[in-house]
Amino acid sequence: MPDRRCKEIFAALSQYLDGELRVKDCSELKRHLRGCQPCLDYIENLKTTIGACRQFPTRQAPKPSARVRAALREAIRP
Amino acid sequence: MNQQVEQALEILRSGDPQAVERAIESLQSAVYSFGMKVCGNSHDAEDTAQETFIRLARSLKDFPDARALAVWLYKVAKSQCLMSRRKSKFAPVEMLSLDELMPQHQTGDGGEPRSWGVTPEQIVLDRESRTRLERAVRALPKHYRLVLILRDMEELSAREVAEVLGISEDTVKMRLHRARVFVRNELEKHFRKKPAPDLHPTAAARKDDAPMRRNHA
Repeated sequence: MPDRRCKEIFAALSQYLDGELRVKDCSELKRHLRGCQPCLDYIENLKTTIGACRQFPTRQAPKPSARVRAALREAIRP
Repeated sequence: MNQQVEQALEILRSGDPQAVERAIESLQSAVYSFGMKVCGNSHDAEDTAQETFIRLARSLKDFPDARALAVWLYKVAKSQCLMSRRKSKFAPVEMLSLDELMPQHQTGDGGEPRSWGVTPEQIVLDRESRTRLERAVRALPKHYRLVLILRDMEELSAREVAEVLGISEDTVKMRLHRARVFVRNELEKHFRKKPAPDLHPTAAARKDDAPMRRNHA
C-alpha cells in the first residue's frame, strides 16, 4: 500500500467494515479489493479481530459488597 | 449501548424487589469486567466497581432514562479506573501513527498478510489466543484503549463513546480504527508463529475450562 490513495483507503477500513462509508468511497474500495488478495486477507483478519473483541467474555466478578447492596437497596426504596 | 448494563439499570430504576438482586449482580459483573479491561488488575477493577456503585446509588433517579444513566455510569467507571493508584505494567506510547500501522506488503519479502483461518469465536475460546488479545488491548495507549473497549467490547455506539469520553465522534472513529489495526497487528504476530487453533467450539470450551463468560441481565 505505497501511495497516498492507498493510505486513504487504509484509513477508511473501519468505516467500511462498520457500514459507514459513503457509497462512492465504498465502490472504489471494493474495486481496489477485487484485485488484491493481501488486502482481502488483511481486512478479513481485521474483521476477525473486531469480532473477537465483541465476543470477549465477561469476567467472573466477586460478589458486590454489603455496603454496595445496602446503598442500592436504600436508593430504590419508594 | 451495552444491553446487559442498560437492562440492569432499567430494573434498578423500576425498583422491582423480585429482580433487583439479579440486576445488582449483573451490573457488578459488567462494571468489574469493564474495570479489568481498562485497569488490567483485579484490585483496581473491584475498587472501581465499588466506588461506581456508591455514586450510582446517589444518582439513580437523576437521569431521564436508563440509557442516559448508562452513559453516566461508564463515565464514572472510566474516571475511577484512571484515578486508580496501581498502574498497569504495560507502558504504552501515547500516539499511534497510521503510517506505522500500515502494512508494507508491497515488498514481496514474504511478509504479506494472509488469512489467519480462525473465527472470532475460536480466538476467545482458545486460552492462548484470548490472552494475546487481552494483552494487545492493554498495550494500547490509554486514549485508544478506552475507545476500543467502549465501542467494540462494551458495544456502545460511536455517539455514546463520544459522550462518555467528551470527544467528537470523528475522533472516536479515528482512534477506533487505529486501535483496531494495532490489536490486529499484535494478533498477526501470534498467528504467524502459531498454526490456527484446531478447535471445535464445544471441544474448546471443555478443554479450556474458560474462567470467564458473558453474562446477561
